[in-house]
Amino acid sequence: MADTTRKSGSRRLARERIAVLFARAAEFYPESPDRSNRCVELARKIGMRHRIRIERPLKRRFCRRCYAYLVPGSNARVRVHRGRVVVTCLACGHRSRFPVGRPRQ
Amino acid sequence: MISPQNVLRHELIGLDVLVVRASNPDHAGVSGRVTDETRNTLVILTGRGEKQIPKRFSVFRFRLPDGTAVDVDGSSLETQPERRIGMRIR
Repeated sequence: MADTTRKSGSRRLARERIAVLFARAAEFYPESPDRSNRCVELARKIGMRHRIRIERPLKRRFCRRCYAYLVPGSNARVRVHRGRVVVTCLACGHRSRFPVGRPRQ
Repeated sequence: MISPQNVLRHELIGLDVLVVRASNPDHAGVSGRVTDETRNTLVILTGRGEKQIPKRFSVFRFRLPDGTAVDVDGSSLETQPERRIGMRIR
């Protein structure tokens, strides 16, 4: 990628901060889910501003509609239905579906 | 990783912090863990609840995960958290 040194440096930092924020979100969740949701919000803002994608494993940790931090068994239901993983956000009721079993190219 | 060289641009949420100096004498000495950050303030979870401290006119001492302490003039943190990354080097 045609990145200047300075720019790639800040994008590396952005990736780090997103990872840190998700770690904090997990830490804060038992005490205060609102703080976790705020961490998700900040992580998304960093991603948008610096054009960093939120990695796949992290992408599934929050609701695609209301952006709530999701913890399976607590505020999210994870079920396999017709060849898909269905994650239901128990805060807003949104169901995200993820394909299963077909490896990515 | 977060280091004294990049604290200004790194994530502050989760760090232990002490307000070393503040224009409001009640704010000086507040210590705890950073739980939120806005453009102009840091929210610190102390033993007596969450305190929202303005960045301007305050000096913060952050304890980094490796144990080192860094003093930071709050006014150099005065932007939205997601914009701090792109800031010039101090």
